[in-house]
Amino acid sequence: MNIRRILAVWTAKAACGICRHMGRQGVTWAGKLALMIYPPILQEMAGEIQKKIFIVCGTNGKTTTNNLLCAALESEGETVICNRTGSNMLNGVAAAFVLAADIRGRICADYACIEVDEASTRHIFPRFHPDYMVLTNLFRDQLDRYGEIDITMDILKEVIRSAPHMELIVNGDDALSACLAMECQNPWITYGISEPVTDASDDKEMREGRFCRKCGARLVYRFYHYSQLGDYACPQCSFARPPIDYDAREVQVGGQLSFAVGRERIVANYRGFYNVYNILAAYAAGKHAGLTLKNFNRMLKDFHPENGRMEQFRIQNTGIILNLAKNPAGFNQNISAVMADQTQKDLIIVINDNDQDGTDVSWLWDVDFDRFASEQIHSITVSGIRCQDMRLRLKYADIPSYLEGDVENAILARLTDGCGNLYVLVNYTALFSTRNILKKLEEIRP
Amino acid sequence: MKQHTQTMQLTIGHLYPDLLNLYGDRGNIACLMKRCQWRGIGASTIEFESEDTVDFKKLDIVLLGGGSDREQILVCRKLKKIQADFKTYVEDNGVVLAVCGGYQLLGKYYETREGTIEGLNLVDLYTKQGKDRLIDNIVLQSPLCSMPVVGFENHGGRTFINNNRPLGKVLYGSGNDGESGYEGVIYKNVIGTYLHGPLLPKNPQLCDYLIQKALERKYGSLKLPPLDDSQEQEANTYMVQRLIK
Repeated sequence: MNIRRILAVWTAKAACGICRHMGRQGVTWAGKLALMIYPPILQEMAGEIQKKIFIVCGTNGKTTTNNLLCAALESEGETVICNRTGSNMLNGVAAAFVLAADIRGRICADYACIEVDEASTRHIFPRFHPDYMVLTNLFRDQLDRYGEIDITMDILKEVIRSAPHMELIVNGDDALSACLAMECQNPWITYGISEPVTDASDDKEMREGRFCRKCGARLVYRFYHYSQLGDYACPQCSFARPPIDYDAREVQVGGQLSFAVGRERIVANYRGFYNVYNILAAYAAGKHAGLTLKNFNRMLKDFHPENGRMEQFRIQNTGIILNLAKNPAGFNQNISAVMADQTQKDLIIVINDNDQDGTDVSWLWDVDFDRFASEQIHSITVSGIRCQDMRLRLKYADIPSYLEGDVENAILARLTDGCGNLYVLVNYTALFSTRNILKKLEEIRP
Repeated sequence: MKQHTQTMQLTIGHLYPDLLNLYGDRGNIACLMKRCQWRGIGASTIEFESEDTVDFKKLDIVLLGGGSDREQILVCRKLKKIQADFKTYVEDNGVVLAVCGGYQLLGKYYETREGTIEGLNLVDLYTKQGKDRLIDNIVLQSPLCSMPVVGFENHGGRTFINNNRPLGKVLYGSGNDGESGYEGVIYKNVIGTYLHGPLLPKNPQLCDYLIQKALERKYGSLKLPPLDDSQEQEANTYMVQRLIK
């Protein structure tokens, strides 16, 4: 074994340990150090995966889908390397492998499940070619960082073509993802929902890619699920929603989610219609790779996301749900999930504009916040670096809000005067700090 | 003569939101609508999708937003059909707010590396694609308002406004071409700008300027009743203080 590789592993593990001790995440730093000490570490370790490598891409649902897929494989007795925390750029991906190595720098895993930031695929693919790519969806996200969706699609097309043997598992309900798969020569299969589930016909959501990417005509939809996801066809050329290989039928949403796929009935104790897609994507990927997934339902039962995705807390007498909401499509789905709970609730919305969030907050105006104008909403508090913008956004929907820039103070205030049912919706950089605050409060105020 | 705003009515035309809808343009519409309604002025918005015909005679404010380059080329084909009517509207002091891609379309052409996109030729300006995109928060001092104008810019084009008046002087950020020190354009009652964020909610004086001009064109001179803008001012001041030390 190469001594530099061992040194890289030790250094990364030490760096990560120190960061954890200081209450920071440290994963990306660990990966960065490992790559500095031994640059080929990622390609070497990826090459040592014994069976297959999955990567998960797409604007929304990457972390949940990837973690579900990892848990599904583990429940079949496989050992899996996974970037669970969602560090999905080059350093984070390297860290997932390096931190999984033993003290002698060896890795011993059947599978790798790696979520990759779309723009970072360009740095990952030269180092290893995955066997499978799951593509969840393409929505507008951080236009200041990624540019238009067209740019993201061009990057993905380039990397997919560079790995001609990689098989794609794509969301067939998304015209953009499906079109991307059609334009590459790679083998691909689809998952989707062929029946309308929610009434999304008259919402005011932003819909991407309304025009056929082949001929420019306006696509015709039989129905929408949300955003541009639905059943589409071009009236002018042959472009249409492809046949669906893993089709969710009899979909039920509410307190829990359930649907049928193939001969299975899948039941999960989650909220949010969008999670049907995440579960279905993980299921399709595992099945397509040849696993039986006989323990899938049991895995779902034991799956407790601890990463701020619909994560539950209890502080004194208040039940709290923390959820990430970082772009219009994701935020609109969050609003649907919040409003599906018909009891009284307090809301805290935390908006930051750090580099990782995108410094442009204009996307707030593309979210349908008007739906919060409801008797069910006991109060709304705006917080985070751009709380002023968030307050204005609500003002122009005629919804009053409290302004408290400090997240901990905002939470403490609603614990005192709230109705005992609190939702905290945060964007990216607010997630980790808000989660730490909630964890801390849960410990000191059980 | 002082008039009662209660009986007044404005119609906003939102051009091609199906193609030009990148940067929270709905915020500009919401701001125009609410600031009319809060004063008792009737306001309605007509969304014209790319197949619809546009009757400019019925419109008091026209909003042209930003789109991706691909979509902008699609729009350009549609715009040909309305060019003459749009020109008449502008020369007749019709109020227009054109943002990002919409701003570029006001001019003669947008020269990109892939080819030249012909514009509407409503204002004497033109755009050339630059090397990098200019992406950041931006602050202006504009003759149209006492508060600084704050927003966000994200554009690959460099726009040259010839002898026209700019919307403002750049205090922070890049502006029209990254060099002249000016941003946007004012021509008659047309404002063209790269500022989104969206533009109007944090710049209520600019919003009121557009409403005022539209009402004056329709009903003669008047004074807009003031609104409580403390939240708008706080949001504006926060950004100004953060960016300009």
